[in-house]
Amino acid sequence: MAKVSLDRLKKQFGASVAVSDFSLEIADGELVAFLGPSGCGKTTTLRMIAGFTEPTAGTIRIGEDDVTNVPVHKRNTGMVFQGYALFPHMTVGENVAFGLEMHKVPSAERDKRIGKVLDMVRMSELRDRYPRQLSGGQQQRVAIARALAIEPRVFLLDEPLSNLDAKLRSEVREEIRALQRRLGLTTIFVTHDQEEALAISDRMAIMHDGKVQQVGFPEVLYEKPANLFVANFLGKMNIFAGHVESPGRFVTENKLALAIEGSGAAATQVGVRPERIILSAEPLGPNAMPGVVDSSVYLGSLIDVRVRLDSGELIGCQLPNSAAAGARPAAPGTRVHACFRAGDCVLFSE
Amino acid sequence: MTPTERNLRNGRRLGASLAFPASIIVLMVMVVPIFMLFRYSFNHFDSSVMVEGFTFESYVKFFQDPYYRKVFLNTVGVAAVSTVLALVLGFPVAYFLAKSQSRYKSLFIILLVFPLMVGNVVRAAGWMVILGNAGFVNFVMQWLGVIDQPVRLLYTPLAVVVGTTAIVLPYLILTLQSVLEGIDFSVEEAAQNLGASFPTTFRRIVLPIAAPGVAAGTMLVFILSMNAYATPVLLGGSGITMMAPALYDQITKVSNWPFGSALALVLVTATLIMALLSSWLIHRRYVKTMAS
Repeated sequence: MAKVSLDRLKKQFGASVAVSDFSLEIADGELVAFLGPSGCGKTTTLRMIAGFTEPTAGTIRIGEDDVTNVPVHKRNTGMVFQGYALFPHMTVGENVAFGLEMHKVPSAERDKRIGKVLDMVRMSELRDRYPRQLSGGQQQRVAIARALAIEPRVFLLDEPLSNLDAKLRSEVREEIRALQRRLGLTTIFVTHDQEEALAISDRMAIMHDGKVQQVGFPEVLYEKPANLFVANFLGKMNIFAGHVESPGRFVTENKLALAIEGSGAAATQVGVRPERIILSAEPLGPNAMPGVVDSSVYLGSLIDVRVRLDSGELIGCQLPNSAAAGARPAAPGTRVHACFRAGDCVLFSE
Repeated sequence: MTPTERNLRNGRRLGASLAFPASIIVLMVMVVPIFMLFRYSFNHFDSSVMVEGFTFESYVKFFQDPYYRKVFLNTVGVAAVSTVLALVLGFPVAYFLAKSQSRYKSLFIILLVFPLMVGNVVRAAGWMVILGNAGFVNFVMQWLGVIDQPVRLLYTPLAVVVGTTAIVLPYLILTLQSVLEGIDFSVEEAAQNLGASFPTTFRRIVLPIAAPGVAAGTMLVFILSMNAYATPVLLGGSGITMMAPALYDQITKVSNWPFGSALALVLVTATLIMALLSSWLIHRRYVKTMAS
């Protein structure tokens, strides 16, 4: 396996810019997820790395080699396509053999390697089946085996789980992650599903409108989003607009004073995650805003509560459906204080 | 019976009743004449009139007369060469058309359909202008100094092959294009990603997947070429005779219905056998694995 470096990668289709100024270093054996809404440029970037799309500007390095102008079939990347793209006229074994044949692996070793990768994805039993005789999950495994058989330098996955049902999705996700760790695969995983990205990746790159919004560890992106897009794309966030009045004190447009941490004199907005808000009858801590429960939705493990603050804002809170159920002032109309720590406030200046 | 079942049954009945008129017409204009030709072909021809009887003399004549053997081989040869030429020329067009995202794509398809609106006779007349002794090709070659005297192009097997290929090409392209359109081209990318060059991808992935369409198109075009009438008459002239004009002459010029019928049946049978054979060969080569 090898590291991948993208340097100021750009792709323009006519007048529209699909990807611009994308620079990223992916370490050997690291799994990076490209996350973003559809049309954000994540798939285009992946296709540039695989060689299907020619970048307008910038360079792509795999290991120490500049592959920017290397054609697809000489790049040695292993890609799993969204629709799997298995060859319908070949058996599972033949599908896997194809890449090995192309890489001129001698037939004795070819056979061994087919057996090995099919064992790896638990598909050895179905080696003589045709793709149309397999379920979606099984086709997915074959696609993975086929991509890994050629021992690629980079493992590329384009929305690999989007065609599977919810239960299978998390199962296959775990399997891909385990396989990736065990084999030390440098992996790029494209997805629009934030939970998927959080669960699987070492680091993630959030993209929007062809630009990388933020790159980092999942928990950092969630806890300290660099901008409002990242904050709202990864989960939900309550946003208060206003300004910093004095260090540690933020005043909203509705004259609500919030205690904040950290420096950010230019901050114009403050965000708080719904699950960081505690509802209590008594004010707790410096940020305790009185209000009335507007509505509450029972979500099983969570209760989604909307509180109308006395200052006018409607905020969302997520309460755990914990054992201390009696302590939940969640009935609409109840007077509560929405309380959160200064450290849970995220500052944005945009 | 539940309303759903009744509805389904009524739907099936309606479908069957709608198919009925067309079936009757096909039966009348196809099966009945073929059966009558079949019967005629065993009749006796008495220098100017057909005499009811049961004799193999027409078939014996066909298989013994070297002239008609030549006519038959001409027909098969022209049809085979035209079909292969049309495949070689048509496949790339159909392929790029199927993959094209261009907004001019529908314009291209209209252009392809356009020749089909012009009759074969008119198109053959066009080729006569191009291939004649004072035609376009000879004119250009003389002007370039490649030749001194006009070369005979019209009334040769070559002219018939060119004309036939041109006529069947749109049919082939449209058939292939509609089949290729259904292919998920990400398999091509997958093959390249696994290390296959473009030619290898084409040979190992695209062609086998497209094989059923290729088989259907080849069959259609071969049948059309075998049975061509106007093109061989107008472009072949006296230089080459093919089956359809030959049997037409027998029936209209000499009123030899038994022999004309025998020729027709030989043509129909040979066309069917060869079309099925070519289709079967393509299927065996490529499609065996696709069958469920």
